[in-house]
Amino acid sequence: MTQDLNNVPDPWLDDLLDKVAQAPVPEVPADLMARVMADAQHMLPPPGGVITAPPLWRQVIGALGGWGSVGGLVAAGVTGLAIGLGAVDATGMDALWSLGVFDGYDGQTGLSAFGWDYEEG
Amino acid sequence: MALDAGNHEDEAVLLARYARGDAAAARVLTMRLVPRVHAQAFRLLGDASEAEDVAQEAMMRLWRIAPEWRTGEAKVTTWLYRVVANLCTDRLRKRPRGDVALDAVAEPPDPAPSVEVKMQGDARMLALRTALADLPERQRMAVVMRHFDGASNPQIADRLGISTEAVESLTARGKRALTQALKGQVAALGYEDD
Repeated sequence: MTQDLNNVPDPWLDDLLDKVAQAPVPEVPADLMARVMADAQHMLPPPGGVITAPPLWRQVIGALGGWGSVGGLVAAGVTGLAIGLGAVDATGMDALWSLGVFDGYDGQTGLSAFGWDYEEG
Repeated sequence: MALDAGNHEDEAVLLARYARGDAAAARVLTMRLVPRVHAQAFRLLGDASEAEDVAQEAMMRLWRIAPEWRTGEAKVTTWLYRVVANLCTDRLRKRPRGDVALDAVAEPPDPAPSVEVKMQGDARMLALRTALADLPERQRMAVVMRHFDGASNPQIADRLGISTEAVESLTARGKRALTQALKGQVAALGYEDD
């Protein structure tokens, strides 16, 4: 009997999965148990346990007051950035001119700052 | 198994005891977990020697992580299951690939009338294991737990920390992917002559 290769039915796959599932599993060898126990003994922590330092990121979050505080900080930071960007966008460079921030600006002064006027005499 | 008899402590509790230097906890964990780990590895690999290596390596990782284990974050058995699955996948992916043919399966030393049938069975299992190794991790785990361990959907959901609906979806997608992967090998696996 030839099966349709383009439409292998699920029972075919289920049969295959069942065959693997039903394949007899060998007994756990005694020497494997012995090796695992030897590993456990070799790596056995000292009585009372080992004091392990938590990872750096966990320490930082703890110092900041936990996940709640970190969430608040992030929210505040994003809000502040949004407000700041909004303010610049609303007023633009005109606001800086009106405050007289650029009163001392001079194109010639700007060029001389590079020392070109001295070099050219 | 006698060492584990009557001990109903949770694996996480035992691991915490081991982390405090209790060797007796290691014995109970070994007796309880190694048979499971070994069986899982053997079903996935089909090779007794490799299954032993994987079981030992997985348990080694458990001992290593014991001092850092955070009770409540994951189940020890689930964590170990995942470690074994990944170790087996690594080994399966390193095996020579290609279409499975009867020639690729070692010939049994003692020829018998059923030799061809046995070789064909071995070829099918090899093909399935290879295809399983190519599945995404969660799909593979869902299919393996369901079909190899006989776990129910709620049990798988509990082990993977997902909903029962998600398990159904993972299993269905995994089996569809397996069907696709094995489709091209149907003839080599002898299904034309069945």
